[in-house]
Amino acid sequence: MKISVQIAMVLNLDKCIGCHTCSIPCKNVWTNRPGAEYMWFNNVECKPGIGYPKQWEDQERHRGGWELENGHLRLKAGGKVHKALNIFHNPDLPTIDDYYEPWDYDYQRLIDSPRRRHQPSVRPRSQLTGEPMDPKWGPNWEDDLAGLAETGSGDPNFSGLEKDAYLQFRDVFMFWLPRLCEHCLNPACVASCPSGALYKRAEDGIVLVDQERCRGWRYCVSGCPYKKVYFNWQTGRAEKCILCYPRLEAGLPTLCAHSCVGRIRYLGVLLYDAEHVSEAAATPDPRQIYPAHLDLLLDPRDANVQKAARSQGIAENVLAAARHSPVHALIKEWRLALPLHPEFRTLPMVWYVPPLSPVASRVASGETVDALDQLRIPVAYLANLLTAGDEPPVRLALKRLGAMREFMRVRRVEGRDAPKPLDAVGLDPETVEKIYRLLALAPLAERFVLPTAPVADDGIYRRQGACGYGDAV
Amino acid sequence: MDLAYTLVFTVFPYLCLTAFVLGHACRYITDRYGWTARSSEFLEKKSLWAGSTLFHWGIIFTFFGHAGGLLIPQRVFDLFGIRADAHMTVAYWSGLAVGVAAFIGILLLAWRRLVQPRVRVVTTVNDAVTVGALIVVIGLGLYNVLFGHYNVLYTLAPWIRGIVTFTPDPTLMREVPLSYKLHVTAAWALLGFSPFSRLVHIWSVPIYYLLRRPIVMRRLVQG
Repeated sequence: MKISVQIAMVLNLDKCIGCHTCSIPCKNVWTNRPGAEYMWFNNVECKPGIGYPKQWEDQERHRGGWELENGHLRLKAGGKVHKALNIFHNPDLPTIDDYYEPWDYDYQRLIDSPRRRHQPSVRPRSQLTGEPMDPKWGPNWEDDLAGLAETGSGDPNFSGLEKDAYLQFRDVFMFWLPRLCEHCLNPACVASCPSGALYKRAEDGIVLVDQERCRGWRYCVSGCPYKKVYFNWQTGRAEKCILCYPRLEAGLPTLCAHSCVGRIRYLGVLLYDAEHVSEAAATPDPRQIYPAHLDLLLDPRDANVQKAARSQGIAENVLAAARHSPVHALIKEWRLALPLHPEFRTLPMVWYVPPLSPVASRVASGETVDALDQLRIPVAYLANLLTAGDEPPVRLALKRLGAMREFMRVRRVEGRDAPKPLDAVGLDPETVEKIYRLLALAPLAERFVLPTAPVADDGIYRRQGACGYGDAV
Repeated sequence: MDLAYTLVFTVFPYLCLTAFVLGHACRYITDRYGWTARSSEFLEKKSLWAGSTLFHWGIIFTFFGHAGGLLIPQRVFDLFGIRADAHMTVAYWSGLAVGVAAFIGILLLAWRRLVQPRVRVVTTVNDAVTVGALIVVIGLGLYNVLFGHYNVLYTLAPWIRGIVTFTPDPTLMREVPLSYKLHVTAAWALLGFSPFSRLVHIWSVPIYYLLRRPIVMRRLVQG
C-alpha cells in the first residue's frame, strides 16, 4: 500500500447562493494579467446551462478526459502517436470564443469628455484587439437562467430526462455550481502534456503547470474534461488553478474558500491508496467509478494506515490533519459529498454536497414513492452531474440532509429528539449533531483543517516577489 | 575576391553558428519562461489548419532531405549503387514536393498573420522577421529546385561538410550559381537568428513524451 496525501475540497451546493464572491479574490490575485483576462480559475455556473466554456461537459464535442479501450485507460483525445501527428494543429482545442472575448470599458472617456449636453458613455472594447465590440457571450452569461430557452437544451445533464418539460417556466429549476480545478488523482491534463510540464505534487496532490517547462502545446487545455486549464494567449503557455498553494503551505485556506460568504466550502486532507488509482479509474461500469473512488480513500484513524503512512515518511502534522479532516467525514463517513462527473475517469478531488430544493408545483400524478421525486431539481439531473447517472448515492445524500433538518427542527421547536427519520437513513443522533455542526455552525478552524508545509528553504524571504508568473511581477 | 569568399562563405557561417549555439544556451539559461511556440491557435483556429500543417510537415521533410543529401558524401551513396544523377532526380522531386508544401504553408501563415485581427495583435516584430526570413529562404530554395538545375553534390555539399567538420574551403563555392549562394547565406542568417525567435520550440519536440509514464508526480521536499 502506497499512501499518498491529497488536499481536497467539498462544496455544499445546498448553501450556495450564487454570489460569485469566491471568483472575485481569485480573479484579483491570480488572473488579472494580460492574456489571462478571460480566465476564471474559479467560476460559478448556473445550472441548468451549458457553462464556461460552452458545453464543457459534452466530451463528444471537447474530447477531454479518459475512456476505456479494451479495458485499458486511454485519453479520449487519442494516444501519444495521435498527439504527435496533430501537434501542429490540435483539433480538440477550444478557442477563446468558447469562453468569451474579454472586454473592458474606456473609462478615461468619462473623465476626458468635454462639457456637453449629454453625459458621456463608455463603450465596451475588446481586450484582444482593442476594437469596440458588442458582447454576445461572457462568463455567467447564463446566470439566473438567462437565455435558458436557447442554451438549456445543450446541457448534457438532461440525459434521460424530458428536458423540454424542465425548460418550461412552470417547472424550471436552478442551482449554482462553483467550479475550480479538481486536482484529480488521475489527471488527464498531466497525461496530455507533451513537455511533462504539468505535474501532481506528491506532498498535497495539487496539480501545477511548471511555467518554465511549458512549451505551449495546448494538449492540457483540451485534455482536461473540466476545461480548467487555460491558455494564456499573450505568453503562449498554460495556466491553471494552483489551489492557492502558497496559502495552503502556510495553513491558510484558498481564497475562494476563505471568502465564501455562505461558508459552503471545506478543505482538508485525504489519505488514499496510490497503487490502485489507475485500477479505480479503469472501472468498467461508469456508475461503479464513484464507489471505487471511495474505496481508494483510507481511514486516517486506522492504526495500520497511520503506521504505514509514518513509515512512508508522511509528516505527523499531516496525519493529525487527516484525522480531523472535514472533507473525509463529508465524503467517506457520511456520504454527503459526491464527485463531479466521475465518468470522466479522472478521479476528481473537489466534491459536492447535492442541493435540496423546494417541492415542485407539478406534483407527479398518482402516489409518489419517494418524497425526493417531488423536489424541483430532478434527482436524475443531479445523478447525471455527480454520479454518472446512478441515483441511489444522490438519494442517500439528499435524504440524509432532509432527515438532519427534520431531526433538528423537532429538537429545536418541540424540545424533544425524534430519531425515527434518522433510522431510515442509517444515522444516529450523535452523528447528526456532528453533521449539523459542520454544515451549519462550524467556524473557520473546523471547516479548513490544513497542515502547514515543512519549511525546507531558508531563502524564502530572498525570493519574495521574484517567483510566480514571470510577467506578473 | 578571395577575401570576399572567405568572409561570406567561411566567416559568416561560423558567426551564424556561434550565434546559434551561444544564443540557444543564453536563451535557455536566461529566458526559459519565454521558450515557447507562442501558438495563436487559441485565438483563431480555422485558417491555421492548412498553413500550419503544410508548413510544418514540409519543413521537417525539407530538413531531413537537406541533412541526408548534403551531409552524407556522394561516395557513400555510390557504395549503395545510388549514382549522382539518380540522387539528383530523387532530390529534385522530393524537394519539389516538400518545398512547395512548406512554401505554400508559410505563405498561408503569413497571410493569416496579416488579415486576422486577433492574430495580428499578438504578432511581434520578431515574428515578422522570422516569417519573412522563412519566406526568403524557402522561396530561394524552391527557386533553385525549379530553375537552378545545378548539381550541388561536388561543390556546395562538400563545402557544407567542410563547415561542419571545421575544414572550411570557400573556393568550392566559386562556380555555384548566385541563387544558391543567396539561399545558403540567407539560411545561415536565419540559423543565427533562430535562438532569439519563437523558432526555439523546434528543440522542444516532445520525444520523451512517447516514453514517459502518463502521470507525472514531483516531490517538493527532497528526502
